[in-house]
Amino acid sequence: MSSVSSSESERSESLQSDTQPGATSSSFDIYATYERFLQNEDISTPLAAILALTELVEKSNAGTMFELVKALNDGAKSLKEGTPNPISLNCGCELFVAFVSLFPHDSDTFSELKTELVKQGRSYAAEALGYRDRIADLSLGFIKDDSILTHSYSRVVMKTLLRAHKQKRISVYVTEARPRGLGFVLNVSSLAAAGIPCTVVLDSAVAYVMDNVDFVLVGSEAVVESGGLINAVGSHQMAIIAKAANKPFYALAESYKFHRLFPLSQYDLPTHNPSILSFPRTGTLSTLSAQPLSSSISQLHEVPTVPSESHSALLVPLSMTPEQIARNPDVDYTRPDLISLVISDVGHLTPEGVSQYLVGMFAG
Amino acid sequence: MSSPANPYPSSQVLAPNGEASGSKPQPTISKAEQSRQRRAVQEQQRAAKAAAKTAPNVPGPSRPRSGSKLPPAPSTPKKSGAGPSKTQKDSKDAGSLAGDEFTGKSRGLRIFSHFGLPKPVSHVGKGDIHPAIVRLGLQFSEFKISGANARCIATLIAFKTVIQDYITPPNNTLSRHLMTHLSPQITHLVSARPMSVTMGNAIRQLKLEISGSDIDLPEQDAKDVLCHKIDHYIRDRIIIADQVIQEIAGSKIKDGDVILTYARSSVVEKVLLRAFSDEKSFSVIVVDSRPMLEGKKLLSVLSSAGISCSYLLLPAIGSVITEVSTVFVGAHSLHSNGAVFSRAGTALVAMMAKQHSVPVVVCCETYKYSEGVQLDSFTKNELAPSSDLLSSYPLTRPRETLNLKGQPNLEILNPLYDLTPPTSITAVVTEVGVIPPSSISSIPFALGRQTL
Amino acid sequence: MASELNNPSQRLVENLASKLRRRQVVGSRQAALETVLVLRQVVSKARFSKFEQLVEIIRSAGRRLVEAQPKEHSVGNTVRKVLHHIREEYHTATKGRASASTRNAFSISKFVLQGQPRKQNVLTKTDEKGTIKENDPDDPDSFARGLKPVLMEAIQDVLDELETVYDNVSKNARDHIHSDEIILTIGKSKTVEAFLKSAAHHRNYTVIVAETGPSYSGHEMAQSLSSAGISTFLVPDSSIYALMSRVNKVILGAHAVLANGGMFAITGSLLAATAARAHSTPVVVCAGQFKLTPLWNLYHEYGALDFADPSNVLGFEEGGLVDKVDVINPYYDYVHPELVDAFITNDGDHPPSSIYRLIKETYDDEDHDL
Repeated sequence: MSSVSSSESERSESLQSDTQPGATSSSFDIYATYERFLQNEDISTPLAAILALTELVEKSNAGTMFELVKALNDGAKSLKEGTPNPISLNCGCELFVAFVSLFPHDSDTFSELKTELVKQGRSYAAEALGYRDRIADLSLGFIKDDSILTHSYSRVVMKTLLRAHKQKRISVYVTEARPRGLGFVLNVSSLAAAGIPCTVVLDSAVAYVMDNVDFVLVGSEAVVESGGLINAVGSHQMAIIAKAANKPFYALAESYKFHRLFPLSQYDLPTHNPSILSFPRTGTLSTLSAQPLSSSISQLHEVPTVPSESHSALLVPLSMTPEQIARNPDVDYTRPDLISLVISDVGHLTPEGVSQYLVGMFAG
Repeated sequence: MSSPANPYPSSQVLAPNGEASGSKPQPTISKAEQSRQRRAVQEQQRAAKAAAKTAPNVPGPSRPRSGSKLPPAPSTPKKSGAGPSKTQKDSKDAGSLAGDEFTGKSRGLRIFSHFGLPKPVSHVGKGDIHPAIVRLGLQFSEFKISGANARCIATLIAFKTVIQDYITPPNNTLSRHLMTHLSPQITHLVSARPMSVTMGNAIRQLKLEISGSDIDLPEQDAKDVLCHKIDHYIRDRIIIADQVIQEIAGSKIKDGDVILTYARSSVVEKVLLRAFSDEKSFSVIVVDSRPMLEGKKLLSVLSSAGISCSYLLLPAIGSVITEVSTVFVGAHSLHSNGAVFSRAGTALVAMMAKQHSVPVVVCCETYKYSEGVQLDSFTKNELAPSSDLLSSYPLTRPRETLNLKGQPNLEILNPLYDLTPPTSITAVVTEVGVIPPSSISSIPFALGRQTL
Repeated sequence: MASELNNPSQRLVENLASKLRRRQVVGSRQAALETVLVLRQVVSKARFSKFEQLVEIIRSAGRRLVEAQPKEHSVGNTVRKVLHHIREEYHTATKGRASASTRNAFSISKFVLQGQPRKQNVLTKTDEKGTIKENDPDDPDSFARGLKPVLMEAIQDVLDELETVYDNVSKNARDHIHSDEIILTIGKSKTVEAFLKSAAHHRNYTVIVAETGPSYSGHEMAQSLSSAGISTFLVPDSSIYALMSRVNKVILGAHAVLANGGMFAITGSLLAATAARAHSTPVVVCAGQFKLTPLWNLYHEYGALDFADPSNVLGFEEGGLVDKVDVINPYYDYVHPELVDAFITNDGDHPPSSIYRLIKETYDDEDHDL
């Protein structure tokens, strides 16, 4: 984390000789600020990024707009470097930076401008906390007494389901969402606590369950330029199955999650790196000790028919090692033709409608 | 409802049903002479028509029908002259119209011109037609007997009577002559309504039996043997097959199911009644459509048995299809590519069901199998008679609006059948088991038979 | 409150509402026309000193009309359209008077919604009402008086557009239909009828009309088309699939076009569109712009399909059957956007994916819920 401030001070030296050095005070650690904001459960990654950048503006010594924007870009870059999945963080950063650079700043002095920017950033974040409720209201019209399938954990979806439960009788299927199992842990406890009938389904049982379901509801990490969705891995699968079974697939996304990215395929995502889906070097298999799975496999090979052994293999909980998990993707990209509707605080959007907003913000 | 177009009115014993064109009794003229006369008259009329053509006439396949419906006087310039010319009007018109169509009518009309040309019934058959066959022909043409199974059974039973009444002429054997005796009867039936695949298969089987009958048997015994064979055919290929199908298809019906069916299939009716008597609880949605509106009959049978039913017309099917668990339909015939030729509208029902992932089950006995691949509904089809038009409309529609006959530029087509492609069908239930539609053609080989 | 309707206007609104409730107004265009006329009267007689009051007056009238017949969407659409035009006129008329600091109004949320701030072109209408003042305490009616002529013009625009709907939709008919084509259509839609008749002046083609039970409106359509000289075939609905392999185009009418590009149309349209999709035949929908409805989720409700008299399906002549059997007679089908290839409106041709944008341009967001 300290590398952040050091790189910033490096860059500040390379700036043109202006009146003031464009560095922030060396004690400003943007990543820690970001993490601090994230502590608040209600604040999602893009909002935390915006708030962190707002603080950067406040603490920055930049004297011109150019320097400020540069500082912001640097801050954004260091934030991105800090996390393995920078997509949603990127949404917030790009939105704020675009806003700042397009902010009409003809007449005011620079410090007034900065205060204004800080104020705007903070008020937006405060306003954005209400977006989830707005989305829940908008989605209400699509929910009857339905059974809903959802994937992993999303705060927006939770809010929507809890809101719908007050007026309709819904039942919810939640997928495990391995490897983190977020769906399992968080959804069931909060949903069950609210009295909504819900059950956990295996990730592999999504197709089995799909005929029984009325529609699929997922949250999002980002909604991209093509109109597609980036969300926890397994969403694309679910969308394909929903399409095959002719069920609607709705994505809930706050407007700050609109991202300028345009992935052409799963492998075009920024989170994709060569180690994902790679094969381990052969030596490593033996190093996976303390793995009930591999040991039972070797046992099965050596002793062909020992039913008790194979039985015990099933009873032992199967888990992947961290290396195996690292070889699997975190997020996937769902194509726009599989998505029926994106429900956002700006209204209902067909996937084609998303790019209208993106072009308006970032083009030209 | 159809008038005599038979150019050989040999007797007036049998009163034609529907508006006859008042054929006067004619002496039996030789066939060749008559056809020559007919052709000459056709040429005359064609020339007259081409010369006198002013307003667009009403061409196309319905012409013989509409002509036959109305008393021939008003619409077309009538031939003066002999009775044969009057009774020949319809065939003439068809001929002259064929000429008209190829002289610059819009493409649409040409395309539909062959579409199931309805054959007008000859109630005065040539040669002597057995009265049972004549009665059967009338029942066919008036759609009093409809449905592939019913027609086949009725035909076979009528043939039994014919066979019993048949006396082998001297110097002939039963096995050779009976067939020639039966041929004109068959032709008469075909002229009432085009032959169904079931009738065709049954008659083919009958011919096989006849030609294989033992020469040495005394005549009565041979006839008895044939009648027994017919009985067995009916029993094995239809009755018992239906029972097996009832069991197999019944096993696909579970408690709480919503079954959808279209129009009226005798097999599906039996399946549903049997499942209901097996104490299964399910409800039925009956979908129906013009021109035949046969679903109403099914509806009354099912609801009197106590099954809870809903009824709706074909266009409304989109609103209920999401609630349906299975679709059961019957078939007129099965083709080797797995396509099902069935009552018009079945293709639409199957398509909608497939769209919503609802399984489509066709209940069909194996004797309905027909060789050959049919690609679309145009190759072989039949038009419904337009006489009974008014009764299939709801009473709430004022009658005057329904009389659309004489309009220029307006054609009414009522195809009776359509072809459901194998992609829309999930399974075919036959007496040999449940089969995917594309494997139908391999069944005979699996059973070690030549034909299904 | 000042926004109450004065009595003559109220009576007009109530009149139209009761006609709508009893379904005495037949046809969406007819309903739209009558709505515009009523609104014109309401606006001309309205008294208001602030713009919001006028909006509230129109809105409450609209609400009453929509409640009378919620399934007739063209009523609500017309009200929204009138509101949109009126707002436009108002903004043009009071330019320069708008809230001064546009800069402060720029926030991140606005940025997302509206994109980059664009340079406002301040059109100074020199001949215009710099004299319009809202809420003038001395002369409360001056605002209204000054504004009304412009508003009347705006409403007249809407009326004109409604009256010329059929002509405009049929403008390019001959580009859509080629010689010797076979067109399939169902039911009776005046828009489609005008479209086909206009094309018949230039092209020679055939039309197959499906009867569409149980209303059998196809008969009237077939009669009307054939008397216009178009060679027509009248077929029962059961043969739609059978004939589809020969059909070149399917042309349908719509009852209402929804924001996602789907539409409500007479029962049987879903069958025709699905069969067309199965044969890769293009499906074209002719609809006036007044049918565009800014609603997204109607199709979810089963009850959104209006239900008609079941005796058309199974009449009392069937005797004992009638009470043993459930009869369903929905009036409309929902056709989802993937089945439609193009919408031909009086404002041009649009694919279903851009309908949401049309709706954004035609109506204001705040009017979605009247």
